[in-house]
Amino acid sequence: MYIGLVWLVVRFRNWHLDGYISDEIFSLIKVKSNQADSSASASGGALSQEFCFEWDHVMEYSKDIKELLGNPKSNYDPLIEDPKEVLNKGEEPTSLKAAWELMEMFYADKLCQSWFPERLVDWLADYDCLLSGDQPTVHSKLVDFQGTLVTLQVIEDDPKYWEVISSALAIGWLEIVVKLLRLHGSYQLDQLGHRETENGLVETVAVLISMMPRMRLELKNGKLGECFEAKPDFMKAWEKWREQITKLDSSAFWVPCHHRQTREGLKNLIQIMLGNTKILCTATDHWIELYISHFLFIRPFTVGFEGMYNLAQKCIQMKPMSSPHKLLRLIIGIIGENTEVVLAECSRGFGPWMVAHAIELLTARSDLADILLHKEHDDIGGISMEELHRLVYAQVLTSHFLTWQIAPVYLTSCMKQGMSLLEFLLYRQPAQHNQLLLKNLEICRLYDLDHVSSNIMKIAGVYHWKHGRKGLGVFWLQQARDEFLLNKIARQLFDSVGKSISSESFKQWEGLIELLGSESKPAGSLEFLHKYRDFKKSLQQACDRKTLDAAQHAADSLMSLMKNPSTPQRFWLPLLYDSLTLLSWPARPLLNVSQTNLLLNKLQELSMASVRPGFVASDLPAEALNSVRLALATNLGRAILEEQ
Amino acid sequence: MAITNLPKNPEIHRIPQPKFIDAIRWLSSPSPFQKSFITSLYDSDYHTPSLEIHSLDPSKTLTTALFSWTPPSRISSLKSTPSLFAASTFLGSLHIFKTPEEMSVLGNDMSDLGSKTSDMEPVVSVVGREFHVGSVGGVDLMEGGSECVTVGEDGRVNLVVERGDFRRVFDENGLVSYSAVKWASPAEFVTGGCGFGLQWWDLRQSSAAVAQFKGNWDHGTTSGIIHSIDINPSRKHTCLAGGSSGTVFAWDLRRPQEPIILSSIGSSDTMTHPLSESEVWEVQYDCYTNSLNSNISSSRILPAMICSEDGILAVIGQGEEPTELLAEPCAINSFDIDNQNPSDVICSLEWESIVILSRP
Amino acid sequence: MEKSVATLDEGTTCTSWNYCGQRLATGSFNGFLSIFDSPDPASSSFTATSKIRIHEGGIVKIVWIPPEYGDAVACICGDGSLSLWEEIAEDGQPLQWKLCETFRSKGSTVLEAQFGVIRTSLKMVVAYSDGHVKVYELLDPFELKNWQLQAEIQNVIDSVSTFGKASCFSASISWNPQLNESQEPSFVLGFNSDTPQLNSSKVWVFDQAHHRWLPVAELALPLDKSDQVFAVAWAPNIGRAYELIAVATHKGITIWHVRLNPDLDGRLSLKKAALLSGYEGEVWQMEWDMSGMTLATSGTDGMIRLWQSNLNGVWLEQAAFEPTP
Repeated sequence: MYIGLVWLVVRFRNWHLDGYISDEIFSLIKVKSNQADSSASASGGALSQEFCFEWDHVMEYSKDIKELLGNPKSNYDPLIEDPKEVLNKGEEPTSLKAAWELMEMFYADKLCQSWFPERLVDWLADYDCLLSGDQPTVHSKLVDFQGTLVTLQVIEDDPKYWEVISSALAIGWLEIVVKLLRLHGSYQLDQLGHRETENGLVETVAVLISMMPRMRLELKNGKLGECFEAKPDFMKAWEKWREQITKLDSSAFWVPCHHRQTREGLKNLIQIMLGNTKILCTATDHWIELYISHFLFIRPFTVGFEGMYNLAQKCIQMKPMSSPHKLLRLIIGIIGENTEVVLAECSRGFGPWMVAHAIELLTARSDLADILLHKEHDDIGGISMEELHRLVYAQVLTSHFLTWQIAPVYLTSCMKQGMSLLEFLLYRQPAQHNQLLLKNLEICRLYDLDHVSSNIMKIAGVYHWKHGRKGLGVFWLQQARDEFLLNKIARQLFDSVGKSISSESFKQWEGLIELLGSESKPAGSLEFLHKYRDFKKSLQQACDRKTLDAAQHAADSLMSLMKNPSTPQRFWLPLLYDSLTLLSWPARPLLNVSQTNLLLNKLQELSMASVRPGFVASDLPAEALNSVRLALATNLGRAILEEQ
Repeated sequence: MAITNLPKNPEIHRIPQPKFIDAIRWLSSPSPFQKSFITSLYDSDYHTPSLEIHSLDPSKTLTTALFSWTPPSRISSLKSTPSLFAASTFLGSLHIFKTPEEMSVLGNDMSDLGSKTSDMEPVVSVVGREFHVGSVGGVDLMEGGSECVTVGEDGRVNLVVERGDFRRVFDENGLVSYSAVKWASPAEFVTGGCGFGLQWWDLRQSSAAVAQFKGNWDHGTTSGIIHSIDINPSRKHTCLAGGSSGTVFAWDLRRPQEPIILSSIGSSDTMTHPLSESEVWEVQYDCYTNSLNSNISSSRILPAMICSEDGILAVIGQGEEPTELLAEPCAINSFDIDNQNPSDVICSLEWESIVILSRP
Repeated sequence: MEKSVATLDEGTTCTSWNYCGQRLATGSFNGFLSIFDSPDPASSSFTATSKIRIHEGGIVKIVWIPPEYGDAVACICGDGSLSLWEEIAEDGQPLQWKLCETFRSKGSTVLEAQFGVIRTSLKMVVAYSDGHVKVYELLDPFELKNWQLQAEIQNVIDSVSTFGKASCFSASISWNPQLNESQEPSFVLGFNSDTPQLNSSKVWVFDQAHHRWLPVAELALPLDKSDQVFAVAWAPNIGRAYELIAVATHKGITIWHVRLNPDLDGRLSLKKAALLSGYEGEVWQMEWDMSGMTLATSGTDGMIRLWQSNLNGVWLEQAAFEPTP
């Protein structure tokens, strides 16, 4: 059964990628969810319904892609007003679209099954223009002839005229044939008088051509021929038609027709209509044209790939080509029913896009192809061909900055290896530009790749930090929730504690503490830093303003710091040393008795700790301890006095 | 998920472009049939950035480049006023241009225009390490104002005067990185940066921000960068900001610690279903919707339009269901509402195309 | 369809791209380190943005340090020392390249150094010309100065025998480029020396329980164990059940499938998947693409070759380029 796939509508774009990929790249993926329930295989009715359902999906998918591949006006348009113009000067279609149509025709379009030959006729009508390489094609001959049409005086004298008409007839371009025939000189008003018979013959042939029976459902507007769906009806009409042609061929009207070229030309056309292989061979250039002519005039009932394949081989033998066009190679692969050859030709001729998207069509037709394409190959890591080609195409997309954003869509549909490749891909994207980084993070978010996004954010954080943009650095590290690095930064800030630093550096230091935030961390180091910062600020204010209030505030701040268990011991002395001015405030003692005692106890604790191993002495001047002790003692004295 | 309030659907025209579009702004034009816009582009084939003025044909299906200039590096921010427009680059330079007056296209037939794109040169260019080190996050001009404010990733806020001189307003030495700025009045402006932080500056007062806002309403669980700020001239004390994670909020200077959140993901209780979950690249007050609903009280936040990374272009109002105008499969990076004709909106898509919306 | 991406100075002896392909570091024969940058991530043309003289003699090899630790490179110089340089903007100073640390060893030269990021620490494996291999660990992520020697190993399976002064011409190290942090860190190491036991490539895995590096596999057939190893490359694993490692010796390039999860016997399973040959000379550099599907090799014949496996596991040369002079 089909594996469920979710496609996403992406976009349409047409551009060159300098040799990375052949010609054009388009990408389309459609949002659908596959509702195939494996339990539906139980009942046959449901099974056929399910297949119909699947086929609908595939056809719709195919149609969407065709629309994207462009809708140029067909070169072959029977409704051209200008009588002297037989071919449209439209935009040339792409071989990619031609290839896609072939794939759709043979693999996806269930309606097409019975009308392959006629379908190929239509296909050639649209795409014959692509096949002219070294060899001429009917199309190229027509184009050349059209160029000379304006200058020709007596059109029916030119052998090219008849050549072109017979070629066009051979591949079923009936409207062009009739139009050209009606350009015959015998239609001109001044000629009608003495060329009646000739004109009659030309007109009869034209009418016969326009009545040609066709084994197909319907014909587009303006196209000539009579359609027959059922074989018996067609046979009857075919025989009748052939009878009429034979009758014309052996009629007596040829004798009075004096214009040699007309007579020979028309006879040639009749031979074509009667299915004369030799004449058909002369009239066509490419083997595919000869092939089509067989379907039209010799064997309109060819069905089944085997029959088609054998006929194709015969035609190739009759018209060998040195370097066949990639479309023709593809056709051989398709009618040869060789999935691997088809894939190889798609890859070789049309690139990874074609292979990645055509697999969907290939699996629609046959279970065999489905099995082949979904079989897991251990030698390439256990993935199937379908996944492999999608991975390859995704890698192609990642090579250009405009398309790499589409790659994730393909990668996420690769069940086994897609996500890991996407992770590697995202990790390798530059993290230095904020906007690009945000877009990459969005992709991580869409596909739940949290560890990748935190990795990328960490890279960005370190990058900005080291380039002097500490704010952005901390921001990204916080987004990455990288506690380890943020702790390291916090620890760096500790280095400034207890040291006298310039006000510039203090501002930086203060700013960093702000950035690191106070709520997001579980107390500890940052809390201390915040308190220290507040203390430093109030100390500064006290020194500046020299008011009692400010000093008291600073003293309170100091006490709160010293009492706080999160204050590391190694900062006690530096803190007290910093606050010497507070401790010896001239106006009045700022600390009361109990507060001073507490501080003295802390000092005692510190002295005892200093003799233990592992004690890290702060790099303060040697007399620091003594000065602090002295100041505290003095303060104690004053405080006791005050309290009395 | 959004109920459209519009009686008819807007007319949408999509015009594919050959280059990647970074930013797009309308330019004032003499007639409503000859609209023009300025766009900053990046050509991925030749790796060259460019700044181009395009004219739009009346059928809104074709654009023609009228003027172009090659900046020293890719454009990071673009703003336009009726007489001037300014572009800043990733390398830290600023360029101010006079809006060309003569932008009419000769003849109505666009197809045989044949005239090549003229060059345009900036009237003022400020470059150098003294100005900004690294990318300029935001630039703003005020019509009638004499100065252009620029803010950068390096934490500097500069004011550029007409002759190309500039003065440094503030330098945080990298502790802050600004990513958006908007003038509120000739002497006040608002900047935005990381952590949904906004700062209000008043040049008449001190050289530091007079008011600050830190966007940690849900205790820092969602944090992000502000990408765009807009201020309505009639409500100068309130500014609208849009940024990461679909966050759009209004900051009222009179109540600086109580932001009014219009859209946000996370545990907010204002919206059950956020409009967008990814970066909101630009916000602009929408005077068109405002004029339609004339019963908005003065205390409510005026409706605004936003564009986001997940392809949404919508109008959002306080306490109302948002109106989705576009939902594209790719990001909408930039948009602009035409001041002269607010029913027209132009926006640029990630996949190299321009979309023009005409609301009925 | 070639397009010139950068024009290097004359006398350039070695180059290295950073992790995202946005910066190119080159070293010259006279000790200059040049850095090339592109103006925009989307651009593919690079111009020189810095050039500093880092050494009196020549620079032999440059390796970028993983981006989680900043913009930094390790340079192996002609005199056998290893120096780490970082581009940093410190305290108001402009952005510049600064020397962080130099590693010298008396009596031996540094042959190769490679970096691996394991959870929260950066590890550097350095191979010396006397056959010793040292694994260093970075203590402070913000300062590339403080490295601690974590382990010293010799490239032998049997740890009992030690070798005196070996004489090694070159060494090759390749870390497992895993993104999955639950796997133990591992690297593959091979030597080109006169001591046969040191030569063959061994896979080293860190044993968390005993806090040491263990050689868990030897990537050589019994007959080839003493072959000198010119280059090794470990492919990124995007979902295969096995690891893909390429080893280049004079016999050709061997592709190994290594399953790092020990089977019931406690041994790792190894399979020699292919031997790539059919080229002239020796291969000295190999690199896998991001998906681990294509191997690019270059060597003394001056050609760059691309190798891929087909559906049946047969490795074939898919393309060969000759750089235009």
